[in-house]
Amino acid sequence: MLPKFAYSRPMSVEETVVQLTNGSVIHAGGTDLLGCLRDGVFTAEKLVSIQALNELRGVRVLDNGLRIGALTTLSEVAEHPLIRERYAALAQSAGAAASPQLRNQGTIGGNLCQRPRCWYFRGDFHCLRKGGNTCYAVNGENEFHCILGGSGCYIVHPSDTAPALIALEAKAHIIGPNGKRTVPLESFFVLPSQDVTRETVLRPGEIVTQIILPSLPQEVRSSYRKVRSRGAWDFALSGVALGLKLRSDRIVEWARVVLAGVAPIPWRALDAEKALIGRRLEVTVIAEAAAACVKGAEPLSQNAYKIDLVQGVVEESLLAMA
Amino acid sequence: MEKTERGTPMPQRETAAPIGKLFRVDAFERVSGSAVYTGDVMLPDMLHASILRCPHAHAMLKQVDVSRAAKLSGVRAALSGADRESKITVPYPWWVPDGPPMLLFDPHCRYAGEEVAAVAAESSEQAWEATQAITVEYEPLPFVANAELALGRGTVAVHDGGNLVRPVDIYERGDLTKGFAEADVVLEETYRTSCEIHTPLEAHVSVAHWDAGQLTVWTSTQAIFNEQKQIAAALNLPLSGVRVISHYVGGSFGSKAELSKHTLIAAILARKARQPVRLALSREETFLCVGNRPANTMTLKAGVKKDGVLSALQFTNLGSVGAYADWATVGGPIAGLYLCPNVRIQETETYINAGKSRAFRGPGEVQCGWALEQMMDALAERIGMDPVGIRLKNVVAHSQLSQRPYTSSGFKECLEKGAEAFGWRQARNRGKVNGPIRRGVGMAACSWSVEGGPPTTVIVTLLSDGSAKLNMAAADQGTGTKTAAAMIVADQLGVPVEKITIEQGDTGTTQYGKPGGGSHSLVVYGPAVRAAAADVKRQVLEIAGRELEVPLTELAIQNGKVIPLNAPDRAIPLPKVKGIIEQQALVGVGHPGPDPAGKIIMSFGTQFAEVEVNTRTGEIRVLRLVAAHDSGHVVNPLVYESQVFGGMVMGLGFALTEKRVLDERQTGKMLNTNWHDYKIPTAKDVPVNQTCIPIDPNDSECNSIGVKGLGELGTMPTAPAIANAVYNATGVRLTQAPISPMEMLKGLHPTLKGT
Repeated sequence: MLPKFAYSRPMSVEETVVQLTNGSVIHAGGTDLLGCLRDGVFTAEKLVSIQALNELRGVRVLDNGLRIGALTTLSEVAEHPLIRERYAALAQSAGAAASPQLRNQGTIGGNLCQRPRCWYFRGDFHCLRKGGNTCYAVNGENEFHCILGGSGCYIVHPSDTAPALIALEAKAHIIGPNGKRTVPLESFFVLPSQDVTRETVLRPGEIVTQIILPSLPQEVRSSYRKVRSRGAWDFALSGVALGLKLRSDRIVEWARVVLAGVAPIPWRALDAEKALIGRRLEVTVIAEAAAACVKGAEPLSQNAYKIDLVQGVVEESLLAMA
Repeated sequence: MEKTERGTPMPQRETAAPIGKLFRVDAFERVSGSAVYTGDVMLPDMLHASILRCPHAHAMLKQVDVSRAAKLSGVRAALSGADRESKITVPYPWWVPDGPPMLLFDPHCRYAGEEVAAVAAESSEQAWEATQAITVEYEPLPFVANAELALGRGTVAVHDGGNLVRPVDIYERGDLTKGFAEADVVLEETYRTSCEIHTPLEAHVSVAHWDAGQLTVWTSTQAIFNEQKQIAAALNLPLSGVRVISHYVGGSFGSKAELSKHTLIAAILARKARQPVRLALSREETFLCVGNRPANTMTLKAGVKKDGVLSALQFTNLGSVGAYADWATVGGPIAGLYLCPNVRIQETETYINAGKSRAFRGPGEVQCGWALEQMMDALAERIGMDPVGIRLKNVVAHSQLSQRPYTSSGFKECLEKGAEAFGWRQARNRGKVNGPIRRGVGMAACSWSVEGGPPTTVIVTLLSDGSAKLNMAAADQGTGTKTAAAMIVADQLGVPVEKITIEQGDTGTTQYGKPGGGSHSLVVYGPAVRAAAADVKRQVLEIAGRELEVPLTELAIQNGKVIPLNAPDRAIPLPKVKGIIEQQALVGVGHPGPDPAGKIIMSFGTQFAEVEVNTRTGEIRVLRLVAAHDSGHVVNPLVYESQVFGGMVMGLGFALTEKRVLDERQTGKMLNTNWHDYKIPTAKDVPVNQTCIPIDPNDSECNSIGVKGLGELGTMPTAPAIANAVYNATGVRLTQAPISPMEMLKGLHPTLKGT
């Protein structure tokens, strides 16, 4: 049952920041928010709807890239012709998220700021991330949990678009009580070792307003591939966003390998990138890069399969580009 | 096509039953939203109720006090185990005669989700808030959430008598030692299935209303008379004092075949508040307390001769029924699907601290099929035989339990025609590709014995304007029973289906009829409807025959007219028949004839699957499914297809995605009580390419319309067919259902760590 809360619908970004007092939660697409409130995952004294902020909607072409309003729906992102052409990884990741209904309602800003899907966090368990003392996943049912970057808490980051945006070197425009700032998405997410109670660097009262994509050289190609237990409405067991710049002789000049579904944040596999850069994209190099992705992985009792899975999905995606 | 009725007792299958691809008679109501489901029932002054459930897998209730909740705004009644009126033992359904007492509110809480207290208030929000204000104190107890652990020494006892539900069940025939000695190949394998939740689209809901000491309950059920009986027994009311209504049901699959506690709680709260009470379970609650298919661990040792003849089957099964009694035995297919002289089946059922299981579409057979049908595949390979061929070698035409012959068997045709339609031979002989994406094909078979027969009464009334009423208890939980029944009436009476109104699902207005379950709805109701309509037809013809001065044998009813066959120009429309106008209504009564003495009615099915496995990622795609089912005569091919396709989707979920996850090692609580974490297949998981071939063996003995059962069979062979196809594609035998990408990868990379 949905607990009681106040509700406001400011007409400007400035007013939104003013409205975002302690105990307030932003309501954008609302696809996950209402469920979280209903299930008591977190509480809200007030919902501040940003649905009236039309300046946060839509995709605009800039001289040096692209600007996507935080309220742009995942469907719009997935179907936008320019995004499909120049930023394929982003279009593919937005199209792979959730279900058609959720993509029509859910926003890209919400997709970046969503809470984790760990069933202990979502369930009736006072876990570490909710201020408790225990991560139940450690000794519990952890087949969906992380193999990289866990410490204390072992969630995986649920976003599909985040790895793609990081691979494409996107930035987030943020506004808050102390003004505006811009954060590269690569620095937007927070590991449990930094702060186990939040997933992003957003401070109280701050909201994401725009996503900025840089213009990329024509030769840069990108892709997003996601593996899940069923064909739709499911989060990644593992996935990978790739950004590659290949010379005509197939030598990799620039590479981004960002993993989904394996770590508490979208996981940039720097060792894999190193294994690629300056080398010809061929089977042996690809196998080396795939193996480098899981360097340092520490599986829990039930998720060792992710070590093979992530290598498999990276290998498949790199081969598709070769 | 149709011979004339003679007004004598119904002979077996004197005429062919109708056949036609008619849209469902209630399709428009269901699709448009105008159908009034239980949850849509609104009564004046109706209250809404909510249940407080135990959050612990096992606990002793130290204290429960609803007095604070009862004082909250809008609250009209509150109830806990401390109240005199809730000291009720909930009766088990008749098929579970041996369970330990199931108290409405038991201070000994045996699973996370067990009912502790309840509140009725003016709004559902108020009711829920009030449950949060109930003072409650638990003493958590150690729990056991795993069947193997439940039988261990010194383990937690779910019930005082221990965790064994009933004595270990043993069935034996022949000489097992001899059978294995005769075998050329003996294989042994352990197979595991996961606990599956019914999760019908329409969640469980009841509305209770008292009037002058009589209780009316609207509830989403497939078994109005079962529920009436259980409610009457629980509340100490006469059967005549309880009316149960269930017009539309949005899926049930067995989870709505017996009384649920929320229905009783609604009734007691309504009596206490003196206002009607609606109690709708949330989706999350339906994962906890209204049944499931038990998880089973099965070991099968099988012996086969070189020529494919089975010589011995030795089977052990361990299943957990949850916290209260039900059945986790599954051995039917071992005992009966194939001819085998030497068999031993040993089945053990345990309690665990989890929600009680219930009958679930193909109960037992689905789990056992997972084992037996994969074993048949493995045996065939070892002796170099085709999987269809080995099954053809072991077809049997009688029950090996009772020695009674089947009234008919289309098993051989299911195997042969299914294989032909699938292109089995070509697909099996296709060259293998060794890339990362592998294709394979597999098949599996099933059978299911169906019981029709009395007691069931159906009434058909022809009204003076030529329209007709069909009155029957039958539920139609999505199975199309109403449509088939209307077609049978139309066929008999010559009244168009649009002019037939159906009254059903109401113990107050219909006569006793069997529940919808066991794949027998049409087997029970079809012949009864036909008999009732034939009774009316006989009366019409007698009356019209007198008026027209034509012998009965020369009359027919077609398109709403009585037609003398030799003088069609003298036809009279039904509303003009004087005798009908005088009587205003002609009433016919029908019952199903008894099942044929000394015989068994057996349905059969085979399914064929083609899959694609990505060996890098463990992803499995089902590319196509072909089914061939012998369910006797098919009345409505459209409904037949829907039943089989729906069954295959369910089987696909069992094979690939569905499992209840309990936090076995820490809290015992269920972790995936929602449709995201409990993964039923989506449209993207189901192949567009599905085909279904009806096999009609022209059974003239089973009943008067030649129908056998279908509902359960559609879901039985799907999962092993898929598993066999995965084996064919990869060479990896996966024995743990569901085959998620995790299981697939573990199979492909056996060196993987972890469980």
